[in-house]
Amino acid sequence: MKTIRFTVNGNEVAVSSPPTKPLLDVLREELDLTGSKECCGKGECGSCTVMINGSSVCSCLVLVGQVENETVITAEGVGLAQNMDVLQQAFIDEGATQCGYCTPGFIVSAKSFLNQIEHVPTEEEVKTALGGNLCRCTGYTKIIKAVQSAAKLSITQQGVKN
Amino acid sequence: MKSKAKKDVLNEEQKLKWIGKSVKRIDGPEKVTGEQKYKTDYSYSNMVWGKVLRAKYPFAKIKSIDTVKAEAHPDVICVLTYKDIPGFNGFGIVTPDQPVLCEDVVRCTADAVALVAAETVEAADEALDLIEVDYEVLEPVTDVENAMLQGAPKLHKDGNIHSHVTIKNGDIDAGFDEADYIFEHTFYSPRQMHAFIETEGGWGRMEEDGSLVIECPGQYGHRDKLQIARALALNPERIHVYSSPNGGGFGGKDEITVQIYLALLAMNTGGRPVKIHLSREESVIAGIKRHPFKVTVKTGAKKDGTLVANKVRAVADTGAYASLGGAVIALAIEHASGPYTIPNVDMEGFCVYTNNGIAGAFRGFGVNQVCVGIETHIDMLAEKTGLDPIEIRKKNAYKQGDISSLGHVVKSSVGTIETLDKAAACDLWKNRDYYKNQVSEPWKKRGVAVATSFHGVGMGIGTPDYGAATIELLQDGKFKVGVAIEEIGTGNGTVYAQVAAECLKCDINRIVVVQGDTKQTLDSGTISASRSTYTGGRAIATAAPNMINLLTEEAANLLGVSVSEIELAYDRLVDAHDHTRFVTYEEIYESLHDKHRSKRVEGHFYLPKEKEELKNSGGAPHHLYGYMTHVVLVEVDTLTGQTDVIKVVAIPDVGKVLNPQGLEGQTEGGAVMGIGYTLYEDVLIEDGYHKTKNFTDYIIPTIRETPEIETIPVESNEESGPFGAKGIAEVVMIPIIPAIMSAIYDATGARVYHLPATPERVYQAIQESKPQSLISR
Ligand code: FES
Ligand code: FES
Repeated sequence: MKTIRFTVNGNEVAVSSPPTKPLLDVLREELDLTGSKECCGKGECGSCTVMINGSSVCSCLVLVGQVENETVITAEGVGLAQNMDVLQQAFIDEGATQCGYCTPGFIVSAKSFLNQIEHVPTEEEVKTALGGNLCRCTGYTKIIKAVQSAAKLSITQQGVKN
Repeated sequence: MKSKAKKDVLNEEQKLKWIGKSVKRIDGPEKVTGEQKYKTDYSYSNMVWGKVLRAKYPFAKIKSIDTVKAEAHPDVICVLTYKDIPGFNGFGIVTPDQPVLCEDVVRCTADAVALVAAETVEAADEALDLIEVDYEVLEPVTDVENAMLQGAPKLHKDGNIHSHVTIKNGDIDAGFDEADYIFEHTFYSPRQMHAFIETEGGWGRMEEDGSLVIECPGQYGHRDKLQIARALALNPERIHVYSSPNGGGFGGKDEITVQIYLALLAMNTGGRPVKIHLSREESVIAGIKRHPFKVTVKTGAKKDGTLVANKVRAVADTGAYASLGGAVIALAIEHASGPYTIPNVDMEGFCVYTNNGIAGAFRGFGVNQVCVGIETHIDMLAEKTGLDPIEIRKKNAYKQGDISSLGHVVKSSVGTIETLDKAAACDLWKNRDYYKNQVSEPWKKRGVAVATSFHGVGMGIGTPDYGAATIELLQDGKFKVGVAIEEIGTGNGTVYAQVAAECLKCDINRIVVVQGDTKQTLDSGTISASRSTYTGGRAIATAAPNMINLLTEEAANLLGVSVSEIELAYDRLVDAHDHTRFVTYEEIYESLHDKHRSKRVEGHFYLPKEKEELKNSGGAPHHLYGYMTHVVLVEVDTLTGQTDVIKVVAIPDVGKVLNPQGLEGQTEGGAVMGIGYTLYEDVLIEDGYHKTKNFTDYIIPTIRETPEIETIPVESNEESGPFGAKGIAEVVMIPIIPAIMSAIYDATGARVYHLPATPERVYQAIQESKPQSLISR
């Protein structure tokens, strides 16, 4: 057991855990952040995706010791029901979630991708960015639309602000 | 009375406020933020971990089970075997032939032999290793045809043929005699995995009042409850199952998954809640799969494109246990001659036990496997005769009131011809030569093809099939709509809210939907068989007038007028003569509450059935079917055999579309699942052992494989359905399968009869289709 400190969704946390425990299990079991799911445990499905210092990674493959002093963001950190991110709203508006089990992972991957660009991505770009996330329900078409429409909306909103 | 009400609904169609609109999912916010709690997301202090010991061999006798060492592990709470089952040691939706915990024989590697509860997952795993099972290994039965032979080792005491169904109509020999062309081929289909992203898992725990709670995703909580009660010898009234939401189901959570294990453990942990959550590897081995079929189809047709005879023999590998295998093969045979009027058919199907895991319900339910025969043969006929493949299908398609290939009069709505007309008129079909020329590389070839199919809605004859809904007025003026049918991703809860808001003439935000909760809702059947919109919707539409009566009577009391003078206005009840006088739902609640009157009403509904069952058919025909045509464009890499689906046009007839966005969600998800079935997916089992382990070697389509998908709905009005709706969830992945197969042929001149059409198989077929002079060097 070791005390490991890091930031999750803007809050500093200290967990006492074997440093070799997967970050995913720590988030779910110690911090009750259950938006991130385990589906394959092998880095194949992306349903456990979180951002570490802004980049999206599979939290099932990261050991909690590796995120000491780092910044982690989960789907809950992108936005909660009362203050949803444009991306989350776009997923609802476009019908991009069905059973929803994969959705938090998609939200994190897509958010991390959108944070890195300042244009409306082409379909090919979205497909490349989200290639590591599996969804069995939607057929992905509406997910692609949701990411594009969120990008469009953020750009307009930024334009208004500037 | 009834028909007048229907007319009113139709007349009011223009005025519909919620029906037919792309109402956003009511559970959207919690899904996109990760706040939605699935069953395995819950946590309880004081919990323990449950694990299942699976069989080491696909077929073996158990000589002894020794749990002493496991029990001695300091962190182990209990170890359970068959001896600890208080009730009936078996489960299975139709035939309960699967042991909860095996006693003297294991029949597949999915079999459970013992259960463990321990303080940690690690301790539970260690305990599994400490259980000593002495086996006498037997030779596994892995081939369906061999399994059916006389001398084959028997998996079950009645032999290896679980069921045999037949449908015959007309005179098959005379039919082939009059045929100008006869096509005969054998098709093999894959063992597709549901691959829901949420693996099986949940909680078992005892309430303080001694009742047992099972929180576990499932597709029919009320039936799960009965299966648990039977195994535990408990009063079902003392069991509460919470089975919604599901992180995907597709049929794979229709059967019991881990519910009975959770229940057994929960009763042996001294009141501590127990959690089981299968790893993907365990889910691959333990979970049911789609039945692999071997289907031989012989089709006879005339020069003018008239189909005159169809003979089918289908053999389904159900693995070690029946689950819904009997019903799957029955539905397959019912659909094996397509939505056509072939006068002479002779079809039979066998559901056969082997030691290859377990197969059960899966979206499409047998129709996926058989539709390839008739559809491929129609395309071959088109090529031989030079007739248009859409015209041949139209010529043979039955219309409402016609006699189907099964020999029964189809009384419900039929949209096949309209879907085919839309296919003929769609851009991809009209301009197919243009699209085929747009190859991305010179060595790639493109093809376009069309296929049509259908799928029964609801259960066959002889299986209970009912819906029930409750509507309760709440203190804050909202309506709690209870329908047991679970949310598995389809958005049925949103449709239920739409139907309720429409019928009650209120804002949709007033509707609170409760699903998958055996304590709060009435048994309303499964979330399967494309029945949930139709059944749940009708049940709500039946309950709503009862609520309106309740509201109206109380409003009349409060306003001091007669019931006939009360009008249901939007979100309130008004005095018909003076609209400024009204009562709110909150006021009605208060008034009913003060009088200690019930604020809850019920609505019940039985799905319409055909009166006469076709002899030996296992429940055919259905009364109601959904219809669908797909047009696809594929591109095949002739150097590698790799096939990409580029475009899909999905043309469903599902009756009235209640939520266009939800419909597209189904057509898009179904198309992509159909692509996976046709091109990539197969759980490989060798000698009874799974070679496929996880998503590392089971490839489902990713976002990169997603084609452009266009949905063009045909809206036939199904008189019996809620606002004219039928069902959708299964047919959306069916005709795309033969359409892709024929598009590969259109592109390359090669046909693949063994799915999935992997690059190796397509490449091989291309080589074989080349004229000899080209391949011999
Ligand atoms: S659970 Fe982490 S990638 Fe699948
Ligand atoms: S919405 Fe169900 S897996 Fe993506």
